[in-house]
Amino acid sequence: MTSLESQVVAQPGPSLTELGRRFRRTGVSGQILTLALVVLVFTAGTAGRFLSIPNLQAIFSDFGIPAIVAIGLHQAIILGAIDLSVEGIAGVCIVLVGLLVRNQYNAGDIGLWILPVVIIAGALGGIANGLVITRMRIPSFISTLGMSWTLYGLAVYVNKATTIPLLDQRIHDFVVGRVAGVPNIALLAAAIAAIMQVIEDHTRFGRYIYAIGGDEQLAAQAGVRVDRIKRQVFTLAGAFYGLSALFIASQLGSAHPRMGNNQLFPAVTAVSVGGVALTGGVGGAKNAILGALIVSALNNGLVLMHVNPFIQQAVNGVVLISAVALTMDRSKLGFIK
Amino acid sequence: MNEAARGTAVPPALALRGIRKEYPGVVALDRVDLDVYPGQILGLVGENGAGKSTLMKVMIGLVQPDAGSIALNGAPIVLNGPLHAAEQGIGMVFQDGCLIANLTIVENLFLCHELQFRRRGLLSRRDMREEARRVLEQLGVHVDVDLRVEEASPAVRQMVEIARLLWLSTLYGRENPLLILDEPTTVLNDDERATLFSSLQRIKERASVIFISHRLQEVVDTADRIVVLKDGRAVAELAGPDAQTARIEELMVGHTFAADRYREHEQREPSPEVVLDVRDLSRKESFERLSFTVRRGEIVSLVGLVGSGKEAVCRCINGLERPDTGAVLLNGTQIQAGSPSEAVRRGIGHVPVDRRNDGLALAMSVSENINLLVLERLRVAGFIAPRLEQKNARTWIESCRIKTPSARSLCGTLSGGNQQKTVIAKWLTSRVQALVLDHPTRGVDVGAKDEIYRILRRLAQEGVAMLIMCDTLEEDIGLSNRMLIMKDGRLVKEVDCAPEHKPTPREIIQHIV
Repeated sequence: MTSLESQVVAQPGPSLTELGRRFRRTGVSGQILTLALVVLVFTAGTAGRFLSIPNLQAIFSDFGIPAIVAIGLHQAIILGAIDLSVEGIAGVCIVLVGLLVRNQYNAGDIGLWILPVVIIAGALGGIANGLVITRMRIPSFISTLGMSWTLYGLAVYVNKATTIPLLDQRIHDFVVGRVAGVPNIALLAAAIAAIMQVIEDHTRFGRYIYAIGGDEQLAAQAGVRVDRIKRQVFTLAGAFYGLSALFIASQLGSAHPRMGNNQLFPAVTAVSVGGVALTGGVGGAKNAILGALIVSALNNGLVLMHVNPFIQQAVNGVVLISAVALTMDRSKLGFIK
Repeated sequence: MNEAARGTAVPPALALRGIRKEYPGVVALDRVDLDVYPGQILGLVGENGAGKSTLMKVMIGLVQPDAGSIALNGAPIVLNGPLHAAEQGIGMVFQDGCLIANLTIVENLFLCHELQFRRRGLLSRRDMREEARRVLEQLGVHVDVDLRVEEASPAVRQMVEIARLLWLSTLYGRENPLLILDEPTTVLNDDERATLFSSLQRIKERASVIFISHRLQEVVDTADRIVVLKDGRAVAELAGPDAQTARIEELMVGHTFAADRYREHEQREPSPEVVLDVRDLSRKESFERLSFTVRRGEIVSLVGLVGSGKEAVCRCINGLERPDTGAVLLNGTQIQAGSPSEAVRRGIGHVPVDRRNDGLALAMSVSENINLLVLERLRVAGFIAPRLEQKNARTWIESCRIKTPSARSLCGTLSGGNQQKTVIAKWLTSRVQALVLDHPTRGVDVGAKDEIYRILRRLAQEGVAMLIMCDTLEEDIGLSNRMLIMKDGRLVKEVDCAPEHKPTPREIIQHIV
């Protein structure tokens, strides 16, 4: 019995080690410490300007849209897959926004109905990803990269590379608005993360994502319908990309497919910094959103300290590689391809 | 035959009749009859390759038999797969485990059966935890159920798998579940083993258990009935408590011994010159410090159960694993540890057990595979000359009698025996000095086996030092000049195998188990 009982439940108590254990069990301990470090360094480096209310508002309003993209992306990574299609899906959705929202060029004016339209359009892009991956059995890396280029090409073709100024201000007002000083977009991202976290913890769909990320074959043997779950994950991701595309265009007040570019890198960095391991099976929506917050805080701090923008980009690259090095158990990988 | 069951009126819970399963070139199961009774522990023993694992896989529907029938509680049934079997109350705990490592104990226990824990549309983690604790405590396991499986000890993992199978059978309303345990004790220490056995005695009150183990004493102590498998057949059935390990050993090994099957008359006394010198080698949790030598033209066979550490020793020699202490010397010079390419460069070859994945490039031709290690010899003015390539390949195809339509045929299209001959030809042409052979005749038919024996004898005559692990003890004894016996990570015995006084398998098996 001794060895079986060696792993008994520790009695909950106020001891320091117990608190430490609970902190680690949250699954975001490293991210909270990283965030604290970033805040500390930049607060010191900017003589407190980093922590001023206007600057915090700037950080949070910058963080909203990448956070939504990261939340879409992170479940694909928990599966042990990847989704590189955000820029293509966003491009298509932005073109739809330019066609359907009241503008200077055509008669389109569907008002707030644009919201379900971009979500469904994004989800359709995600379904296409899922079908290529599960039916044609093409690795997600290639199928989503190919999908991104395909959709982006079609989007520019339809749009003829014109910038369409938008006249409907309602979504713009939401994106830049605040509630009690907190940017709406940040609140929305937090709400979405909370819902996704509950889905991950308390639904079968959520459990199965982790099971597939842990061991796809064993999961299938236990009865998980692996292909279906994969399609659902990519569909959901696409829906979030569509939503973020609408916010990007609305924020800028015009629509051009190129606006969807440069969404992928920050999202991958956010998810990795958040501790969602590329090997799959680890992390959650809370990790994705904290990762997005760390990345925005970092970039904001670099701007405040007048770091050259190209050096900022280089810093982001190093951060991505370091985050993956820290979160991924590379000893479990048979080959590095 | 049915000594233990005779006199009891209880019908078997699971009855297998005339089960047959054939793989290309091998009959894995040959008309096996097996009865499993409720409330009993059935011990299943047999050598490696006797058909135990195939039989288990038939019972959980992972393998469909070519012939024969399965009856569950008297009703015939066809099992479609592990999930279907689990719904019928038949489950198996595999040696390497079926739990998903990154999920917690609770999540694994109820995976794919979470619906009953739903409250207002969401899964209640608290309900799941409570049920998990209850189920595990029934088995005497007290553990933090939120522990991720990769953090749990092997003993706990095993009990979680058992608990899951029992819980599933209750869920599907099966009265007398059947639990198959494939070598459950290999990963456990002495305490944990004792715990497992006492749990099994409790579990059998409400379930049938099939217990597979290589440790015969364990089987005799635990099982109510013992069935011995040999060459795909159930050759004997004994009552557990009365069985003698010696008698079981005899039944496992059998007596069939064709004269000169292993070309013993071609066996030569090796030269005294040492080629491969293994000094003080050890690797934590695999094997303890050991030293041995292999001489020019000598075949040394390394025997022991799965888990005795013999595979790890060979992997260390080939540089596939890094030993903690010690060194491997070839002709007196030390080989850099932990580097497979260094080992190959110096002249230590490796014929892996999984030739399809590790030994050959299946999508490349026979000629390309044979020439892989000697490309620099086939160059003219710095470029590889196709003419020389073809010439070299043809020489070896002929000399090893590789049956292939042409030198350009892809290796993936050859039979197992011819693939194996291609692997060996690759080492022959590279003029290896020492060769480690990991089950070279596994899965090849009788004719190809003889061809491989012939090639091995020729290699010996050419002075190659060979370290071999075979599929059966007879093969080990027949082929080798000397046997090294390993048990629980230690080198326990060295046995001389000169052709005129070969030991019997029984003498060897005593040291192994």
